[in-house]
Amino acid sequence: MEPTLENHGKQTGNPMTFKTVLNHPMFKKTAFLTAAAGCVLLPHIMTDTYYLGIINYMILYVILCMGLNLILGYAGLLSLGHAAFYGLGGYTTAILITRYGFGFLSCLILSGAIALLFGILLGLPTRKVRGDYFCLLTIAFGEIFRLVAQAWIGFTNGAMGIVGIPIPSILGWSIRTEVDFYYLGLILLGFTWITLSLLVHSKFGRAFIAIREDELAASVMGINTAVYKIIVFGIGCFYAGLAGSYLAVYQTTVTPSNFRLEESCLMIIMVIVGGMGSLLAPIAGVIIMTLATEYFRGIAEYRMLIIGVIMVAVLLFRPQGIFGTSAFKG
Amino acid sequence: MSLLTADTIGKKFGGVIALKDVSLTVEKGEIVGMIGPNGSGKTTFINNLSGLYAPTSGRFMFNGEDITGLPAHVITGKGISRTFQNLRVFPNISVLENILIGLHCKITTSLWDVYAGVLKTRKVERQAREKAMAVLELADLAGRHDTLAKNLPYGKQRLLEICRAIVSDPHLLLLDEPCAGMNPVEMDDLAGFIRILQKKGITVFVIEHNMRFIMSVAERIIVLANGAKFQEGTPVEIQKDKKVQAIYLGEEGDL
Ligand SMILES: Nc1ncnc2c1ncn2[C@@H]1O[C@H](COP(=O)(O)OP(=O)(O)OP(=O)(O)O)[C@@H](O)[C@H]1O
Ligand SMILES: [Mg+2]
Repeated sequence: MEPTLENHGKQTGNPMTFKTVLNHPMFKKTAFLTAAAGCVLLPHIMTDTYYLGIINYMILYVILCMGLNLILGYAGLLSLGHAAFYGLGGYTTAILITRYGFGFLSCLILSGAIALLFGILLGLPTRKVRGDYFCLLTIAFGEIFRLVAQAWIGFTNGAMGIVGIPIPSILGWSIRTEVDFYYLGLILLGFTWITLSLLVHSKFGRAFIAIREDELAASVMGINTAVYKIIVFGIGCFYAGLAGSYLAVYQTTVTPSNFRLEESCLMIIMVIVGGMGSLLAPIAGVIIMTLATEYFRGIAEYRMLIIGVIMVAVLLFRPQGIFGTSAFKG
Repeated sequence: MSLLTADTIGKKFGGVIALKDVSLTVEKGEIVGMIGPNGSGKTTFINNLSGLYAPTSGRFMFNGEDITGLPAHVITGKGISRTFQNLRVFPNISVLENILIGLHCKITTSLWDVYAGVLKTRKVERQAREKAMAVLELADLAGRHDTLAKNLPYGKQRLLEICRAIVSDPHLLLLDEPCAGMNPVEMDDLAGFIRILQKKGITVFVIEHNMRFIMSVAERIIVLANGAKFQEGTPVEIQKDKKVQAIYLGEEGDL
């Protein structure tokens, strides 16, 4: 863009600050390449499987939270039922692999598709009900999902869950070790990031933001807000389905307790702590919340208390989250 | 054929009759003004026209097509854009992004294109950006394209809201009290800007309380009182009209 008189004057009066360095394309490129190389090499540097296991769970939550952030941070819809879509993915993969002998890749795709489908169905009422009632609906959906998973013993094996999910393989690559799962997670995360960034940098992403900012004004811009809310909800849930599929093969079991309301709350908190409305910000929230819960594992009964304290502290001192956009500064 | 024909538009809110049989026409290329005391139904009229409300009776014909009661996003797609009396820019995103959202109905990218037509989408986005910058240039806002909308001075935010409405090349632009909160210099700039829009082929329908502004910018003025059309004429005729002066007495003395 041609510099106009106005901003030109500003730039000369303002030499290299920390921020201009951070925003420089050269810096961005270098930082990205370094980070990418670091991610690929990580399992060779950090060979301890305990830590690698924690990182694998972090990747899983980042995928979940990036999808949730699309719904919550971009479109401004509060969903407390995200764990149910995660669970739909988990059970889809578990059942298809153990009972019907499906390959992992098709399970992964179908898990995403089922979560997308249910996301669209649950998104339908956003046409009619206000945001706070919609939030109640998502809680109800999450609880119904969990109760069905618990009670429909013939199909889901009830509270025992589905166990003995075999080692997955994709195109001849069998995924056995923590390192293998790390790379699988990394591929899924890369897929999530690329597809989400294509979406949010299109007219769709802008329409979601417009709905968050001012729904009435959005409709006057020609945005069919009812349809866009359903789209954003469905797509956000799709990634939860992928994460659920990963969980099933990684844990080799899925049980109803994997998908409790508490999990949905944890995801919301991770998104809020990391920062809403910016694509990669939830990573910070996931890292902080995972490390905190790991560190305080010895006093597990206080886990929710610690999580709560962290969230209150963030909301007090940095209401937009660590890397969030200013929309949530309040 | 007139660009817009409002035919006996009525609107009731429960027991409140906000509009009674309002009929008017807007010709292509005109700047039409609407005035009237507080609560006379001006905003309600354009809310009905732009699809935020459906009229209780009557119909709107736009470009020969009945658009009565269509949803707001459909009406925008047909070429009617608007601004709001109480300023509704998208506060937490940049000036440029505000304009790009205004271009929404002109961007043809489908969900499929987003993932499968990356290059095509990128090209469309680049063109959209160029178009948006050109509009900002027109309003002398291009240098602020990166600023968050809420950090602009109030007068500039009003200008931004107009830019957001015109970037989609509407046939008809509805402005609801665009001068509110502006100083006299900004008002003169705005009057000049509206004339530029007229030259670019946009028909303008403007509601305004500021008499000096509306008399200088509008070619024809419609007066609304108690939800009904009270008078219509050129600025000179309206200014001289004793009955119009009477309904404004005690309201504002500057007619
Ligand atoms: N959504 C609504 N529900 C109920 N009554 C309404 C609604 N919108 C407008 N009204 C009523 O309709 C009447 C006309 O209001 P309107 O806002 O159109 O007036 P206006 O001419 O724009 O006034 P102002 O100059 O103050 O902006 C008022 O009596 C108002 O109270
Ligand atoms: Mg009004």
